[in-house]
Amino acid sequence: MEAYLVAVAIIAAIYALLALGLNLQYGLTGLINFGHVGFFCIGAYTAGLMAQYGIPWPLSFLSGAVLAALAAWPLGLVSLKLRDDYFAIVSLGFSEVVRIVVTSEQWLTNGVQGVTGVPKLMRFLGNGLTQPLAVLNLLIAVNILVALAKLRIVRSPFGRMIEAIRDNEEAVKALGKDPAGFKIQVLVLGAAVAGVAGGFYAHYIGYIVPEQFVPLITFYIWMAIIIGGVGRISGAVAGTLILMIIMEGSRFLVDVIPSVSGVKMASIRLGVIGLALVLFTLYRPQGLLGDFTRR
Amino acid sequence: MTAFAELFIGGLMSGIVVGLAALAITLVFGIARFPNAATGDAMTAGAYVALSASAVTGSTIIGGLIGALAGAALGVAAYALVFRKLAGRSSVANLLASIGVAFGIRAVVGLNFGYQQQMFQLPLVRPWHVLGIRIQPNDLDLAVVAAITLAAVFIILYATPVGRRMRAVADDPGLAQVSGISPSRVMVALWALAGSVSSIAGVMYGMKTVITPEMGWNMLLPAFAAAILGGIGHPIGAICAGVLLGTLQEMATPFVGFTYKIAISFVVLLIVLLLRPQGLFSHAEGAR
Amino acid sequence: MMNRRQLLATMTSATLLASTRDGWAQTTSVFRIAAFNPITGAGAPYGAGMQKIILAAVDEVNAAGGAGGRKIEVLPEDTQTDPQAAVLAAKKLIEINNVQALVGIWSSGVTLATIPLANDANILLMCTSGAPEITTSKINAKRLVYRFNTTGDGFGKAIAEACAQEGFKRPATMAYNNASALGIVEGFRKNWEQKGGKVVGAVVYEPNQPSYRSELQKVLAAKPDVIVMGSYLPDTTIILREWYQTGETQKWILAGQAAGPDLVKAIGLEASDGLFVVNSITNERSTAFSRYDAAYRKAMDQPGIANIYAAMAWDMVTVLALAMEAAGPNANPSAISAKIREIANPPGKQVSSFAEGKEALKSGKVNYDGASSSLDFNNLGDASADFELSVISKGGLSRKYVVKL
Repeated sequence: MEAYLVAVAIIAAIYALLALGLNLQYGLTGLINFGHVGFFCIGAYTAGLMAQYGIPWPLSFLSGAVLAALAAWPLGLVSLKLRDDYFAIVSLGFSEVVRIVVTSEQWLTNGVQGVTGVPKLMRFLGNGLTQPLAVLNLLIAVNILVALAKLRIVRSPFGRMIEAIRDNEEAVKALGKDPAGFKIQVLVLGAAVAGVAGGFYAHYIGYIVPEQFVPLITFYIWMAIIIGGVGRISGAVAGTLILMIIMEGSRFLVDVIPSVSGVKMASIRLGVIGLALVLFTLYRPQGLLGDFTRR
Repeated sequence: MTAFAELFIGGLMSGIVVGLAALAITLVFGIARFPNAATGDAMTAGAYVALSASAVTGSTIIGGLIGALAGAALGVAAYALVFRKLAGRSSVANLLASIGVAFGIRAVVGLNFGYQQQMFQLPLVRPWHVLGIRIQPNDLDLAVVAAITLAAVFIILYATPVGRRMRAVADDPGLAQVSGISPSRVMVALWALAGSVSSIAGVMYGMKTVITPEMGWNMLLPAFAAAILGGIGHPIGAICAGVLLGTLQEMATPFVGFTYKIAISFVVLLIVLLLRPQGLFSHAEGAR
Repeated sequence: MMNRRQLLATMTSATLLASTRDGWAQTTSVFRIAAFNPITGAGAPYGAGMQKIILAAVDEVNAAGGAGGRKIEVLPEDTQTDPQAAVLAAKKLIEINNVQALVGIWSSGVTLATIPLANDANILLMCTSGAPEITTSKINAKRLVYRFNTTGDGFGKAIAEACAQEGFKRPATMAYNNASALGIVEGFRKNWEQKGGKVVGAVVYEPNQPSYRSELQKVLAAKPDVIVMGSYLPDTTIILREWYQTGETQKWILAGQAAGPDLVKAIGLEASDGLFVVNSITNERSTAFSRYDAAYRKAMDQPGIANIYAAMAWDMVTVLALAMEAAGPNANPSAISAKIREIANPPGKQVSSFAEGKEALKSGKVNYDGASSSLDFNNLGDASADFELSVISKGGLSRKYVVKL
């Protein structure tokens, strides 16, 4: 029982990290990034491939974050020139291109065969509950770190600049400041966080393959932050937990309501997620815990 | 050279399907001003309804028409239940709600029809040979259907009062309202139109391939790319962009391979948007 | 901290939720297995059938009095053909439902992601996946994993043999871009080249495309006399329809999972006429197959040959039950695993059902020959198979001959 809950908690913490990164981007800059899974993929593959060469995980995670950040930078440049919804589509295209490149460049990524045998983190802790619990605690710590970092950014001069840009970009420009640079920096930072999440993911699932990094993941994270409340850290976390409850809870429904077959349950799960999205957008756009001052 | 000609034709046909989906997207984008992610699943729903209808009536054409009607009804329902209430909100809010609607449609389709593949029972025919190039009669049929659909949309937009009002709302919603145009009637007509076009695109896609609950969602991204490329709110632009992307994609395959060809659409889209942010045909602003 | 509090709250409520289920009691008179199949996702064409047939096979075992003094209880679960969802599902099945075997895994990704979990819990895992790594000594270190399908290499070898026997000289290949299909085509290429032949063209295609015309065009440009394809039902349908409409006349060799009554229904009698299909011997004339076929028709209203993987799933239950019977009461998965080769491989009395085998075990060894193949396992858990070449004519599959490897 505990092992299952720890497993769910680890996946939830990874998703929470992704949500925090996305929340950073959307909350601070208003950029609609539909390509978040692309950064996740880059981080996961960097960590997974480096692990094959015995490179210690702190280094591979850092490299994953850096590579994801580097990939975000040209995307950031593009975002400056396009209106919001166009950028959304282009960023979606970006994550698909990442997936296609990973699929095709077999010499590097092993293509559709995937990368097997990515070892567990902190294996020396053995096979019992200690090792996953340690990973979970590490993840929670990283989540907290990212949340704290965001708070510091928001309170810093940099953060005040971002607020100002959000409220009135023209005024900021008139004051001689360049909003563009700030936006790109936030985008890059969010991407780096996603890259770290990818590293944890690769080491937890132990097997990564391009088809795991599809746009649907990005949309799940969007749902989490919409439901939880955009702009607030607690919102990102709460939304992720709700998302996990819907996804995993539906598994148990099959046990409790035996007349519903597996096929039906998959459709029902999708329907519930869709309904939640529509209802929240309609009636509670700020999410459960969100920021009431945003439009 | 015949090889390239045949690649071109293949791309043309895929492009037409994508173009029709892009048409549905551009209609909604131009008038309701947001990218409608439920278009893909509306395609799927239309295909399934058309399939059932053609099984019951014994005629694919009638089945297709019923599918189109179902698509219209679906569009109007989506408007009445969801999008009408989101009228003043940001385009992101509408986009996210449309994703929710998309999931909802897919759930209902999955529950009703199951996940096994289904097919339109169409007779297979051998091709004609023209100048050494193979041309398939089924292709011609689909092209004719697409042309008729486009013509119908055009007639509605440019020759009917409702169409004129739609274009007015697209150009300047504030002015349109001040001029006394009732928004809700225009919107109902719009969503009915967009819904039926999505359905037709779905039926065509289903005829070329197989029908599964996921089929429309897979088409969404290329369709979005084509809609943006063609310029939002320009029906001809959408179809042309779809065809352009389709043909470029297929003709690039000897050079980039079959996996990378999927990336071509995005690369082309990106390049065009960087050089001309409003798209190929549009005059409206698309840049910040 | 907000995060941890919320986490604790969720964990508590999840525990409450889960404890409404019977997760605690482990009665020794029941052996729990999970029917862990792709109900949704890429494997959906096959998953529902696999799950239903597992349930039917378990019913048969229980009706014959159970195995090793125990009844088998099945928990159906959807892998979603997604490694991540599958990992969490497997965790739930293992930790909360206390299953002792994961049966009927289809996708290589799901198998590779869940093997570590099964190994850690010392439970059996039975799959139909094609990725070669599954049965390496590194990954299958505890010998608890069994593959009821042939590896791509085996398949490819059989296809190469069949090609040679049919007298083809210029084969080309097409493959769906995933590990299993690529494995089949790679296996073919390797073996064909070993025979001194050359593959004139090779194309790998992506799923979910609106058309495969350009892929077909490339393959056809090499002017092959036969096209060998590693594929699945939906894409095969689309490709063959488009091929027929090109007017070309070369032959095709398909792997069994892609070519069944559904394909014939989809492309029609004329287009499907003359298609070659290579399959591990399903022993259509064997009793095991006809029993499976009857059960499949009852469960899915389709002939059993329509879903090769379901035949494998049927065999999984029977093999498991026979091994349980041979291992004796209260045997754990490792002990059961040790008996699998004994009951599935020669020597022994040939049996083709659980009831028959259970009876025969009272007086000596048995050798179960299954619905999907003769199921002779090697020490790494791979089922070796003989292959047959069939041809579709007038809408039905008829065997031409057995391919001798």
